[in-house]
Amino acid sequence: MTETTTAPAVSGADAAGEVDVRIEEDATPIVRLLGRTLRDSARTGHALAALRKPTATVAIRSHDTPQAATITFGSGVVEVAGGVLVDPDATLTVDLNARFAPAAAPEGDADLAADVLLALAPPIPDWQAAAEHFWTAARAVPGIPDVLIAVTEGADGIEQVVLGEGTTHYLIAGAPETLAGVFSGTDDMLAVLSSGALGLQGTLSQLSVLIGASWKVRYDV
Amino acid sequence: MSELTLPDNGVDARSSSVSAAEAASNGARAVRLEATNLEGSFLGKTVAPKKFASGAESGFAFADLLFGLDLGNAPAFGFAYPDWRGHLDDVFFHPDVSTQIEWEPGLDAVIGDYWLKDGTPVPLCPRNLTRKLTDRLASLGFTATVAVEIEATVFEESIQEARARGYRGLTPLGGSAGTAYHLAKSKDWYGYMNAVADRLDAVGIEWEAWSDEDAAGQIEINLAPGDPVKVCDSWARTRQIMREVAFERGHTVTFMAKPTEGYGQASHINISLQRDGANVFYAEEGPSEAMRHAVGGLLATIEGNTSIVLPQITSYRRLVDLSGPPVTASWGISNKTTAIRAVCGHPSYSRLEYRVPGADANLYLALAGVLAGVIAGLERKIEPPDPVSEMAWCMPPGVGVERLPDTITKAAAALEADPILRELLGAEFVDYWVGSRRWEWMQFHTAGGDPFAELSEWESARYFELP
Repeated sequence: MTETTTAPAVSGADAAGEVDVRIEEDATPIVRLLGRTLRDSARTGHALAALRKPTATVAIRSHDTPQAATITFGSGVVEVAGGVLVDPDATLTVDLNARFAPAAAPEGDADLAADVLLALAPPIPDWQAAAEHFWTAARAVPGIPDVLIAVTEGADGIEQVVLGEGTTHYLIAGAPETLAGVFSGTDDMLAVLSSGALGLQGTLSQLSVLIGASWKVRYDV
Repeated sequence: MSELTLPDNGVDARSSSVSAAEAASNGARAVRLEATNLEGSFLGKTVAPKKFASGAESGFAFADLLFGLDLGNAPAFGFAYPDWRGHLDDVFFHPDVSTQIEWEPGLDAVIGDYWLKDGTPVPLCPRNLTRKLTDRLASLGFTATVAVEIEATVFEESIQEARARGYRGLTPLGGSAGTAYHLAKSKDWYGYMNAVADRLDAVGIEWEAWSDEDAAGQIEINLAPGDPVKVCDSWARTRQIMREVAFERGHTVTFMAKPTEGYGQASHINISLQRDGANVFYAEEGPSEAMRHAVGGLLATIEGNTSIVLPQITSYRRLVDLSGPPVTASWGISNKTTAIRAVCGHPSYSRLEYRVPGADANLYLALAGVLAGVIAGLERKIEPPDPVSEMAWCMPPGVGVERLPDTITKAAAALEADPILRELLGAEFVDYWVGSRRWEWMQFHTAGGDPFAELSEWESARYFELP
């Protein structure tokens, strides 16, 4: 992909929490992931001071792939663009599949780096709320099963949330924090599945569709 | 819309009916079954003569994963699968015995296509799609004559050496002179090209010309024009021969859209239409009405078709102004800077050249897309805009000529939204293809590709040997 970084920025769905998070047109997954995460922070009122910085530029780099993006703060407007084409005030090298965990010491302005890491860690809803959020985003995806059943073992034994109605069912089981991470888009469904932390009951085609749906909540595609 | 189905009377309506006698492999030790997957990789398996004879009518089982794996051998996820894709269930290869040839002493080869258990064609099968569109064109009273230019780059190193180097930093065969049509090539270059031509002759593939192309090590081979399915079959086999000859001679060949940071490589499609033996694209003065309508249909579908003819991440790195490939949704008469070049004024040679496809396109699918555009234009009498008479590169915004989608995601979105291609190619194919392109995009970005490199290592590893 050779996306331009000079294309007009696409405005966020709304100026969440009086912070407008924008991503460029035809954005890459890392740009979408950052944009969605920052928007979640703004919507929940998390790290608003960091999001409202008057001016600052921060580079985010993946620790194990060439993925990179630049976040530009400007008094309530946050723009995310692919690549690092400017000299940033701070650079963070993070694990994109571990909730932006730093993989190296930040470069540049340490306080700014800490603020951005905070902004990239919005509160994760509990697993039931996350499942409902996931279902809201996923239920219109072509091929999605009629019913999603999320199952976990809590303090009081087996608990489940049943979302939707109909004849085709898909069951996802895991620890509460695992389900919350996947359903909220915080964690990558395929990566979590590969780790063995999720149990599934359904067809291969349904799994494929659910992974597409997980991209909606994680990358807002 | 023409559909291929097995009639109730038991007469097989597939590519070519077979009998057990015809299925005999004429003394060969083995028969190789051949077909492309969606990506254009030439896949198959080799069966014993007895097995071939017993399966020629019932078909040969292949796992449906051949339509489900990406070029990194991972299952493509993120979209709904059609009902026939179960849990690695079988689809059935049916040989078209009219394509059976002696590939080499002791080995026959036969091309076929994929069918479902219920006797209907696999809608994703590239060869089925080409035939479906060819039949639909025939229902309008037209036959198409097509030709393809095969571009590739040949390197001195063996495939083992190329693999060890990650397919980078290789030495162009024949020297580094970067001018097209260069005749003073070293003997190893001529040795390779002559060996390829000899093999084409041996298996009965008619070629018209071969030459040095723009980039160092780059070559072009022109196959003889013909029926769409037959030309696609020849295309697939020619690429196989080019690979086998390279392997045998200790060299390497690639059909990547851009194997180095230099020039890209294309797969231009030439097409003319005949009715009652006459070329209906011919008119004494400029393009005929049929040619105009064909251009109109091709332009109406060009954005969506871009996804099909530029299938991979690297495909889009070709789209650079002034470097050869078209970058705009445009047509012109004798204008090779446009996407569709009209060649007019000759009773035999009047034709359209569709210049968008990369060398990495699956010709069966690319041709199906082109035929869909032509059919739409003819059926709907779509008039094109005025031809572009200026250079169609570096055009400023606002002059009425749009740029082609320049990323895999933009092109996929255009295909998803194209009602004409959805109708003519089928919703199942369009949705599956779009989903698989989004998977490719996600894999590129999250598994090691670099959008800011001229050509990333991930692309070399993924696309050099396949498709």
